[in-house]
Formats: sequence, structure tokens, C-alpha cells
Amino acid sequence: MQSMQATLGTPTSSALSRFSTSTQDKSSTAGQTSSTGPQPSRPSIIPPPSKSKGWGTGASGGRMRRIIAEDPEWSLAIVPLLTELCIQHIVENFQNNPILKQLLPEHKQKVLDHLSPDLPLAVTANLIDDESYWRRCCTQRWPVCHVAKHGGSWKRMFFERHLENLLRHFIPSTTDPALILELLPLCRNYVRRLRVDQFLPPMKLPPRPRSGELSESGSEAEVEEPATDHYQLGDLVAGLSHLEELDLVYGVKDCGMNFEWNLFLFTYRDCHSLAATIKACHTLKIFRLTRSKVDDDKARVLIRSLLDHPALEELDLSHNLVGDRGARAAAKLLSHSRLRVLNLANNQVRALGAQSLAHALAHNTNLISLNLRLNCIEDEGGQALAHALQTNRCLTTLHLGGNELSEPTATLLSQVLAVNTTLTSINLSCNHIGLDGGKQLLEGMSDNRTLLEFDLRLSDVAQESEYLIGQALCANREAARQRAPNPSCFLSPITAKGPENPAG
Amino acid sequence: MNPPGPLGALEKEEEHSSTPILGPSIHSNNPQERIQARRLRIAARLEARRREALGEYLDGKKESEEDQSKSYKQKEESRLKLAKLLLCGTELVTNIQVAADIREIHRRVEEGEIRRQRLEKLENEVKSSQDKFDEITMKWEEGKRKRIPQDLWDMLNTQQVHCAGLIEDKNKLISELQQELKTKDDQYVKDLKKQSDDICLLLERMEEQVRNVMKTFRQELNSIEKAFEAERRELLTSNKKKWERALQAHNAKELEYLLSRIKKVEDYEKQLNKQRVWDCEEYNTIKIKLEQDVQILEQQLQQMKATYQLNQEKLEYNFQVLKKRDEESVVIKSQQKRKISRLHDILNNLRSKYTRQIRQFEEENQSLTSDYIRLVTQFKELQKAMRHFALLDDKRFREIWLMNEEEAKDLISKAFDVDRIIHTQHLGLPWTAPDFWFLRNVGPISQQQQRSATQILEEVLIQTEEEGMEEATSETESYLDLPKQVSMKTTRKILMLLCDESGFLIESKLLNLLRPLEKSECYLLKLDAIFSALGIESEDDLYKLVNFFLKYRVHHSPSSQISPWNLSLPQERTSPMSALDPGEQTDLERQKEGSLVGGEPEEKEVPPSPTLIHPNDVLKILEAFVMGLRKPRDPPAPVKVVKYVRDTSKDSAYWEALATVLPYATQNLWDALYTALEKYHLVLTQRAKLLIENNSLEKQNTELQMLLQQYLDSKINSELHVPPTQVLRAPTK
Repeated sequence: MQSMQATLGTPTSSALSRFSTSTQDKSSTAGQTSSTGPQPSRPSIIPPPSKSKGWGTGASGGRMRRIIAEDPEWSLAIVPLLTELCIQHIVENFQNNPILKQLLPEHKQKVLDHLSPDLPLAVTANLIDDESYWRRCCTQRWPVCHVAKHGGSWKRMFFERHLENLLRHFIPSTTDPALILELLPLCRNYVRRLRVDQFLPPMKLPPRPRSGELSESGSEAEVEEPATDHYQLGDLVAGLSHLEELDLVYGVKDCGMNFEWNLFLFTYRDCHSLAATIKACHTLKIFRLTRSKVDDDKARVLIRSLLDHPALEELDLSHNLVGDRGARAAAKLLSHSRLRVLNLANNQVRALGAQSLAHALAHNTNLISLNLRLNCIEDEGGQALAHALQTNRCLTTLHLGGNELSEPTATLLSQVLAVNTTLTSINLSCNHIGLDGGKQLLEGMSDNRTLLEFDLRLSDVAQESEYLIGQALCANREAARQRAPNPSCFLSPITAKGPENPAG
Repeated sequence: MNPPGPLGALEKEEEHSSTPILGPSIHSNNPQERIQARRLRIAARLEARRREALGEYLDGKKESEEDQSKSYKQKEESRLKLAKLLLCGTELVTNIQVAADIREIHRRVEEGEIRRQRLEKLENEVKSSQDKFDEITMKWEEGKRKRIPQDLWDMLNTQQVHCAGLIEDKNKLISELQQELKTKDDQYVKDLKKQSDDICLLLERMEEQVRNVMKTFRQELNSIEKAFEAERRELLTSNKKKWERALQAHNAKELEYLLSRIKKVEDYEKQLNKQRVWDCEEYNTIKIKLEQDVQILEQQLQQMKATYQLNQEKLEYNFQVLKKRDEESVVIKSQQKRKISRLHDILNNLRSKYTRQIRQFEEENQSLTSDYIRLVTQFKELQKAMRHFALLDDKRFREIWLMNEEEAKDLISKAFDVDRIIHTQHLGLPWTAPDFWFLRNVGPISQQQQRSATQILEEVLIQTEEEGMEEATSETESYLDLPKQVSMKTTRKILMLLCDESGFLIESKLLNLLRPLEKSECYLLKLDAIFSALGIESEDDLYKLVNFFLKYRVHHSPSSQISPWNLSLPQERTSPMSALDPGEQTDLERQKEGSLVGGEPEEKEVPPSPTLIHPNDVLKILEAFVMGLRKPRDPPAPVKVVKYVRDTSKDSAYWEALATVLPYATQNLWDALYTALEKYHLVLTQRAKLLIENNSLEKQNTELQMLLQQYLDSKINSELHVPPTQVLRAPTK
């Protein structure tokens, strides 16, 4: 956890400095050159890379062994083979003359093993597919690397994170957009996910915040005009042919005491351009736009562009300002797409929005997960959703935490529990279910055999009934585990819950 | 907000790591396990029954089962524990989020309340200020109407005061709001702090959780490992024990085996020694014996060699001989081969000849068949001619008969004349002419009756001939013999009846063959077959059969009555013929003729009703006939002979009678007379002869004299040394 924070922290600390990446690259390359500096001077005598290998191959070339008493550095290792020398040369001059595809597989491997990770991407991006090389690149740049989050591909991880890094530190009207667009042809085949957790607003005085002090940038931001647009993703996304996931936050991270409302402005222009972008991106499966002050109108604009999208499966608009109208638009989207996951956590959806969502949900056959945490749908909306769940046969996860729900919803939900056989996870935490509601839910649970998770924390339910519900859940879990001999199936709901937590 | 990401990831990892440990649960799996255990136990029992000897193996198995269950238990326990731990941990971690949520909600509620109050306050303020403002503006109107400066000033002052109050109110509000803002700022800072605290707490908890989970996982892993190890150890020890036991047993057995083996070896050694000694002795004896044998055999060998040499020589000789023979045989073989080839040629020639001959014979056969046909036709013509000639012959016979009779009668009359002359002239006795029946007879004796019968028969014969029945021709003779009794029609009818009724006597093959033929031919062949079956060979038999039928029908009597009659029939016929004198014979013949002539009409009256013979009776009749036929069959020849003799005997008798017209006495007399006359004649003839002789001698004498004269006269006599005349003179002298 700490390490992760550190990884996130280190780039951000250097992030606000504009040319952080470039400087970093330069410094690293400089370091590399300094480290490799002695190499070219020595090969005339003994090449260091073959030094270790020389011992191994010494037996074969025993004939050539000689003793040079004058040379203190002389070892028994033999003079390297010509191939070794060639490979070394190729490695040294790889930037100017990349020779890789013509080599034999073993030599190729050797070259890749000795290539510097700091070579310009223009050379390596489309030439090298070897994972170990990209692994070295990644591990060199970032101390913590979760390659599993990037589909197990180090190259993809490198490019995704590289691009994300660029986007995070892109400052409109000061940074050259060509910087990113130059990268596009190199990374277009490898980037499948774009997860940008901050978009910096334009600034007046670019050199100043370069030190990375947020206080200064914040003070600068105060001076700016409020109308500030962010980087337009259109060109970039259009170029990424395999993009599947887009995770955006229009805001500034770690602003701390330098808080400015301006830092978190998601303008209409941004909204429209983003809508056009996602509409044009047909490969997009997951779209997340969180913590970006998306209100009803913007939400409607975005959702309208997503209607009848061919691939979209997950929509996440949590931590925004989406109200009933936005919820109604989302409901419409439910019936006009193949959406599987909808997350509207921490918005301003009220009873009306919940009712429209419930209406759409009643006959939906795609949606698996619905998250309405920290809204205010209240009993009316809760009852409507409960009614919808009586007919729905698809939804497995429902989060209604912190929605001011009370006993009536609980009674209806208990009926649903008795009937529904698809729901596996319900969260009713932080509501006012009350003792009676808890009892009724317990009754409902007694007939249910599919529910695996039922969160009733801090919802005024009697401890006894909560405990009993927990017992029932336990039994259900065992039953589910028996039904599916593969334990991973059982764990999938828990793991599915995993990514929701960070959203909250 | 940030940290939960890694947390989730960590949690995920933890869960992932925990997954392999999550085996089958106790609650769910236990029954299955129990069932499995029971099944195994049942199987084990069955096994035990089958092979009770292997008890140890079963024990080991049970132990292992228990061990397995132990480890299972351990696994299940740790799994549950870990699941619980994970659940609790995640709950603990998420509790912070939930708490934050509820705080947020509370905050929102409070915020809402405060905002509502603030808004209310603001609205009230706005209203009051509006009122005040309205008041002020009203007062402005009033002020405009005021003309008095004092008043105006006062009013202005008051207005100023009011405005100041209003502004003060507003300022107050603003300051309040600013105060609130400040508190909010403070609260924001506090919230930030709180959040950072929360995050810190969250981090702590997560770390704690991670640590806990790792610790417990490690512990559980250790415990599971321990359990497994313990199990393994137990297994090892038990196996070792088993192994040792087995080894001990094995050793003991081995020792036993060794001892027994040593004992055996000793025994065998003793035996071997004994055997060796014995063998040595035996060997010696055998050696001596064999040496003797060898000597003998050597002798024999010498002998054999000698014989061998001998044999060799012999064989060589034989070989040489055989070689020669072989050569010879080769020569012979070549000869034989040549011969064979020659014979082959001959054979071929013969074959060709044979085929030629076959062809020739076929041709011959054809010509002969045509000849035969021709001959048959000729024969028929001949027959016709014969019949014609028979008639002619008859006529001639009659004529000759008459002529002969006439001649005989002439001779008789001459004899009578001679007799009369002899009687009257030579004997001087009175002569009386004898009066005999046959003297008055003219023509053949029986011929007249026979002819009448034959004529009738001939009519029938012609009829039958017309029908083509060949047998009828042969039957004619039988009719000639015994024609009087039966008519042709009756015989025909009887034969037809016989043919119809006794079909069983005919072979079925024949019936098949007969079917296409004409009716008459059919009958003919059938009858032929039946007759051959019944043993009827001659026409006589046939006739007898017909007669028998008629008799049977006439008498209506049982067959026993007929058979004696039938038997007597030949006797009647034979006895009189042989016994009777010619004289009596004539009488008898006459009687017979009379009876026969009389019988015929009787018979002829009957035939018009041949249907009286019932078809059912035919078989009985046949049976009786066959029974009867057997005996008469024995002497058939004499009957036939008699039949033929009788015919001529009548004539001969007649002729004899004619010949013996003169009685023996007269004949004797004649003989005597003849002899006397003969003698007389002889004398006379001698006399005559002598006379003739005398005459001839006289003639001879003269002739000889003449000859002598001639000889004597000839010149030759003079030329001869001895003249014949001298010789002749001497004998004659």
C-alpha cells in the first residue's frame, strides 16, 4: 500500500514540473551512458559482458589462452567471439541502426538482453516485442508494476502508463499537443486502457509550477479565468485502435489546502468533445468518468452519445452531480445498449430517478451490477427498485448503501429475496432499515438460497437478525461453492466488489 | 480516495492466495465422505471375506483413510478460519468506508438542515430588508412631498439611519456568512485531516489485515503442513513397522529356508557319496563287460568286414549284371516303345476301321431293316399265298385223296379179282366179296366236318385279321383244333373282359407306354402282358381259358367242380387215342364228332349273353384257372403229339383199313401161294437163265474163236521171241 502510494507520489511530485518525463528520461539516459561509458573504452582488451561468459566458454577455446604478465587486468578468459563483438556493437548502435529481425533467435535474445531500456521509443516501440525488454523498461521507470492489471503484457503496460503519465501532466496551451500525438503511432497497437486520474487545467505561467509545488500552481490558478478547457482526447482516442477502457477524472489530485473550484471544472466544451470522442470509439467497453462534477445536462450529453454503442459494457459516473434527469437518461441507456455495469454512486439521484431506473431495470436482461450508493432515492425509489427486481432475472449485484431507505423498502426487498434467484450481493448499509425491517429481511433471507453477500452495517438492524442473516449467507456461500466446484467462480462476486471499493 | 485501489488489489491477491486452500467444506462434504467411507468399508469387508489372509493390508488402508480425514479436517478448519478472517478483515476495512458514508450522510442531512435554516434566514432577511427597503422607498416618496427642509433633513436623517440599519443588517449577515464560511473552511481542513486520518487508519487496518492474513495463512499453512507431515510420519512409521514386520517374517522364513536347505544339502551329499560309490562299482563292472563286448564286437567286426568284402564283390558282380540288364532293358524299352507306337498306329487304324465298320453296319442295318420290312410284307403276301395254296392244297389233297382212293379201290377191286381168281381158279373155292364201310367211302374222312368249322373260323379270322390281331392267326390253329366250343366274339369279349379286369397284372410302366397307342394295339399288348403273367403260353392254354370261362358261366358252379372236370379233360382226350383200336377209333370218332357237332349249337346258344359273366367273378375264375392250369402244365408235350398224330392216324387208319382189305388169312394164303409160285418161278427163271447162259456161252465161244483166229493171224506173233500161240496152247492144253 505504501509502496503504491509512493509510486503514485513520485510521479506526481515530479509531475507538475512540466518536462518531468523528458528530464527523467534524459537523466536516466545520461546515467546509462555514464554507466556504459567504460564499455567502449575497454572492448579492445576484454569486453565486460563476455567476461562472465568467458569462463564458461574458456574450455572450448583453451588453445588461445595466454598469459600477459604486464596486464594486471588480464584474466584467463579468452578473447570474445566475433558474434559476441557484433552483438555488442549492435547493442551499442541500436539507436542509429536497429538490427534485430535479421538476427538468429539466440543472438536476438542476447541483443534484447543487453539493450538499454532508455532507447527512444520511436526505435523500439514497433520493433521489439520481447516482454523481458519491456519488463526492464517498466521496472526501471516505476518501482511498482502490476502487470496483471494490464493484461499480463509488459509492453502494453509500459505504453499505457507512459501515455497516462503524459496525459496527466499535459497542460493545455502550454504543453505541445504534438508530444502526445507523436507517441500515437508508436503506441496505438498496444494501448487498450487509458486511466487518467487527473487533467490539469491551463495555466498562465507555465515555468513556475514546474517545481511541482501545488501551492504556487493553486495561487496561479486563482488568477486565471474560470472558463478553462482541458486536453481534448478526440485525436488521441481516435488513433488508439484497440482502446477498450477509458477511465477519466477531470480534476487535480492532491491539491490539499490549495483547493480551488477552478481546478475541478468540467466544462461544456470538454463534455461535448468527450461525448464525440466516446461516440467515435467503437471498441470502448468500459467508460468511467468520476469525480468530475458531471451534472444532469452533461450526463445527458454524454449518455446520449453512448446510446446504441456497439461495445459498451460498463458505465461509471460515480462521485458526480447526476440528478434525476441524468438517472432517467441512464435508464434510457439501459434499454438502448448492452450495458452490464452501471455505477451512479455518490450522485444526487432521488426517488424519481430511481423510479425511472427501476422501470428500465424491470425488463432489462443485460445489467448485472447497479450501484446507487450515497444517493437519496429514499423509500419511494427503493420500493420501485424492489418491484423491478421481482421481474428482473439478470441483476446480481445491487448497492443501495446510504439512500435513506427504511422499513417499507425492507419489506418489499424481503419479498424479492424470497422470489429472486439471481441476486448474489445486496448492500443496504447506512440506511434506516430499523429492527422490524431487519426481521423482515431475515424472513426473506430464510427462503433465499442464492444471495452471498448482504451488507446491513449501520442500518439500525438488530444484531441478532444481522447475525442470523450472516449465518444464512454463510450457508448460501457453502451451497454456491458446492454448486460450482471451481472455487474461483465463488470468489468472483467478491473480486468484482474489489474495484468498487476504490470508487467509494 | 486513492488507497482503496491497492487495498482492493491486495484483497484480491489475498483471496486468490486463499483460494487453493479452500477445499471441500465439512458441512457439505462430510456426508459424502461418510458415504464414501461406508462404501469403502463395505468393499473392504467383501475383500476381507474373499481373502482373509491379508489382514495387515486392510489395517493399513484404514489407517490411511483416517489420516486422510485428519488432514481433510485440518484443511477444512483452516479454510473456514481463513474465510472468516478474510470476511472479518474486509468488514473491518470496509467499516471505515461505511462510517465515512454514514458521516457523509449525516453531514449532508445537517448541511441540508443548516442550508435550509440559512435559506430561511436569508429569505427572512430579504423580506425584512425588503420591507425596510420598501419603507425607505415609501419614505422617499413622502420626502419628495415634504417641502419643509427641516422635515426633509429629519426625514433624510432617519432615512440615513434606516439605510445604515439595513446595511448593518446586511453586513451582519455577511459577516455571519463569512463566519460560517470560515468555520466551513476550518471544517474542510478538519475534514481533510479526518480523511487523512481515516486513510491512515484504513492503511493501518489494511496493513494489519494483510499482516494478519499473512500470519494466519502462514500458520494455517504450517498447521496443514504439520498435519500432513504428521500424517505422513504416521504413514511412514506404520509402513516402516509393516515393512519391518514383513522383513522379520521374511528373515525368519529365509533362515528356515537356509536351515532346511543346509539339511537338504547334507542329505544330498550323503546320497551323492553313496551314489558315487555305487556308480564306481557299477562302472567297473560295466567297463569289464563292455570291454568284453568290445572284443566280441571286434571279432564280429572282422567277420563282418570279411562278409562285407564278399558281399561287395558279389554286389559288384550283381551291379555289373544289372548294368547289363539295364542296357538290355533299355534296348527292350526302346523296342517296346517302338512297338507301342506301332500298336498305336494299329489302334488308330482299327479305330478308323471300327468307325468305318460301324457306319457300314449301320448302313447294313438300315438295309437289313428295309429288307426285313420287305420280307415281312413278302411274308404276309406269302401267308396270303399260303392260305390260297392251302385251299388249293386242300382241293388237291381231296383230288389226290380221291385219286388215291380210286386207285386204292381199283387195287382193291384188282385184289378182290385176284383173290377171286385165286379162290376160284387156284383154290377152287367159292369167293364172296367182302363188304367194308370204307369201301363205300369217297373223299377224305373227317375233312367234311373240319372244313365247316374252319370256314366259320376263317370268317372270324378275317375279322380279326382286319383288326390286326396277330394272335388271332395263331389262335386259328387252336380253333382248328377245338373250334366248336367258342365263337370268336365270345372269346373276344371274354378277352376284353379279362383285359379290363386284370389290369393289375400289367406293369405300370407298360401302361404309361401304352397310353398313346390305338385301342386294339393296346388290348393286344395288354393281353400279351396278362398272358405272360398268368403263364399262358400256348394257344391251347388260351383256348382252355376261354373254355373255362364259358364252363364256369354255364355251370355257375364253384371252381372246385370245374377243376376235376378240367383235369379229366386231357385224360379223356389222351386215353382213347392211345388205347383204342383203329376200328373202334372210327366209332369213337364218329361219336365224338356227333357230340361235338351236337355240343356246338348248345354252346353257340349261350354266347349271346356273355355279359352274364360278372366282372367281379373274373378274378375268381382266373384264380381257379391258374390253380387248375398248374397241374396240366406238367404233361403238355404228349397232348400236342397226340393231337398231331390223330390227324394222320385217321387217314392212316383209313388207309390201313384200305390196305388191309384183305384179311391176314388170305394174305397168308397168298404168301404161301406166293412162295410156291416163287419157287416155281425161280425154277423157271433158273431154267430160263441157264438157257440164256447157254446161248451166251455159245455166242462167246464163237466170238473167242474169231478173236483167236485174228490174233493168230496177225504178224506180230511171228516177231515175238515166244509166240503167244505157243503160250496159249500150253494153258489151253
